[in-house]
Amino acid sequence: MENANRTDLRERTSSVQRWVRENAGLFLVLPGLFLFSAFMFYPILYLLYLSFMRATNAPPTSIHAGNEQFIGLENYVTILADPSFWNSMGVTWLFVATSVALKLAFGIAVALVLTSDRARGKRFMRSLVILPMGLPAVFSITVWSKIFDNARYSLANKVLLNLGFEKVSWMTERWLAFLTYNVTEVWLAYPFIVIITVSALQDVPDALHDAAKVDGAGYLARFRHVTLPAIKRPVMFGGILTAAASFQQFLIPFIFNDGGPGEANSLLIHYGYTEAFGNTSPAYGKAASIMMLTLLFIGAFMWLNVKKGKLADGVGDR
Amino acid sequence: MSLLSRIARSVAGDVKTVAYSPIAAYEHTRYTVTGMRTGDVDPADVAMSVVSTITALAVVTLLLFPIYWVLKLALSGGSASLFATNINLLPTDPSLQTFVWVLGDLILPGYKLSLTIPGVGYDVFVRTPELVFLDASAHGVEYPSEFKRYLWNSMTVAVPTVLLAMSLIVPGAYALSRRQFIGRGKLLYGYVLFTQVGGGIGIASLIALYALFVQVGLDANKLALSVYYAATAVPFNTWLLKTYMDGIPKSYEEAAYVDGASPLRVVWEVVLPLSKAGLATVFIFTFLAGWTEFIVAQTILATDQYTLPVGLFLLVSEYSTPWPKFSAFALTFALPIMLVYLGAQRYIEDGLSFGGVEG
Repeated sequence: MENANRTDLRERTSSVQRWVRENAGLFLVLPGLFLFSAFMFYPILYLLYLSFMRATNAPPTSIHAGNEQFIGLENYVTILADPSFWNSMGVTWLFVATSVALKLAFGIAVALVLTSDRARGKRFMRSLVILPMGLPAVFSITVWSKIFDNARYSLANKVLLNLGFEKVSWMTERWLAFLTYNVTEVWLAYPFIVIITVSALQDVPDALHDAAKVDGAGYLARFRHVTLPAIKRPVMFGGILTAAASFQQFLIPFIFNDGGPGEANSLLIHYGYTEAFGNTSPAYGKAASIMMLTLLFIGAFMWLNVKKGKLADGVGDR
Repeated sequence: MSLLSRIARSVAGDVKTVAYSPIAAYEHTRYTVTGMRTGDVDPADVAMSVVSTITALAVVTLLLFPIYWVLKLALSGGSASLFATNINLLPTDPSLQTFVWVLGDLILPGYKLSLTIPGVGYDVFVRTPELVFLDASAHGVEYPSEFKRYLWNSMTVAVPTVLLAMSLIVPGAYALSRRQFIGRGKLLYGYVLFTQVGGGIGIASLIALYALFVQVGLDANKLALSVYYAATAVPFNTWLLKTYMDGIPKSYEEAAYVDGASPLRVVWEVVLPLSKAGLATVFIFTFLAGWTEFIVAQTILATDQYTLPVGLFLLVSEYSTPWPKFSAFALTFALPIMLVYLGAQRYIEDGLSFGGVEG
């Protein structure tokens, strides 16, 4: 009896040991996972809690500040019935669509120009062209906000006047402001797309192009049938990353014109931020529910992309 | 040390290439011109090359124009403004005074060192000389900026961020690339899902984050901010490095194992050296995560702990922003990063390949 127990115990320890040996890799991953989870999931849970509360008094400095009051789904009901929330949601998705399309088209075009066989000094030019990535976003966005200032003497207006057009109130007209958001976002993000595209282009074997040339394919045909399939995957991945960045764009509306005119261009994160910190009467509970909905949407968006784009497998599970 | 000397050698090589490029270009042009005269080179071919080079140059010029505009502004000094009554492409009265304002005094004060020789009872005094690199007041700058304090704050945030992040990311990426373990697929999936969401969640949950920091008494703590930055950098960079490591053939490691190397040694001497480009990219990205972040730093830190981006934004005010100073400040701040990008461009291109062609 005792003997049997002992063998049983030995077998069990050895199976634990075997498990540990087989899953040793897990212990290399856990520290990172733990730290990431601590800073991601705890705030999200707290946000969820706060979104069921009426919290308007002071900035909450602790989990139980004592000035919150449970009101169930009221915040969500208020938000979902608020047209300005739906405006923000709509304009955010529109911004994602337009800015991502522009970023990809522009980034790929620049990458193609700067990898062309015939261009001289392209390596040097490629080093230069990614410099905007090194500038702090706060700075770049402030500069762009002044380039597109309403004033007569802003750079954009000056160029327009010199070309013989009238001066334009960039910040006070809704779609013009939206356009300037797009231009700025493209300028901020194109280096990333250029780098990804260039590195993908360099992996395309020259032999493929030569073979296509021998078969009489023109430049466009070669782009469609040789280049595009080869760069599709990395560029798609870059596109998804940059779409997520666009979705969460905060500094552009914050620095440009506070999401204006009015609240017309208040992108979601900025909208929630204004509810919490920007107004004279802060509504942390309401802001928390906006942020929860934002996170829900971005989560669903990323999940769909990762699933459809098969980003998690393919590379890893060979 | 060998790493530093290797970097130095590669930088020296780059500088040499750039320095020799005019000569190379001249030789090339001469060859082409003589070639065209003798009929060895097709003029149509040359024309195409010229057109594509000019197109490329035009694109680069257009894209970098805002940076040039800001640099011009910084050099103009005084009360120059981002707004222009007429567009001058060159600064009217160029001076480096704004940059002196940014840097302030660069003076290493003299120190008095005393050394007691034991048993004898003599003291030996050594006085180091005062080293003056830059005396701001000599250039007419009375109240220099607080750039150095912000820089110190930024360094003390960014360096721990990089150290912590690298020590989490490298083992994680290696395990995900080379080991099988329970839940690996799910974890990978989760990381990809969270790749770009980190920073956005930071702003979305700013209220919660602030509450969290205050509750554990870690608001106004730079180290806690570093830990936060490192945490947000984990998913994207782990995934990036893992993708890069996937591209390294396993046969190298197998060969080392056959030769009797221990797993740790294989990682240290085979996998890591081969992941150089990936490591460089991840290093730069994690460094920049802390170096350029603005909104969380502004919320969490106390006034005397502000990092460079926050200090920079403090210069902006609705009506009287000192644009030349603002530009000089930002350019000084960005210069090291831009230099790193210039030098490390080829590594970043390699490191961000996302496993390009499917194999």
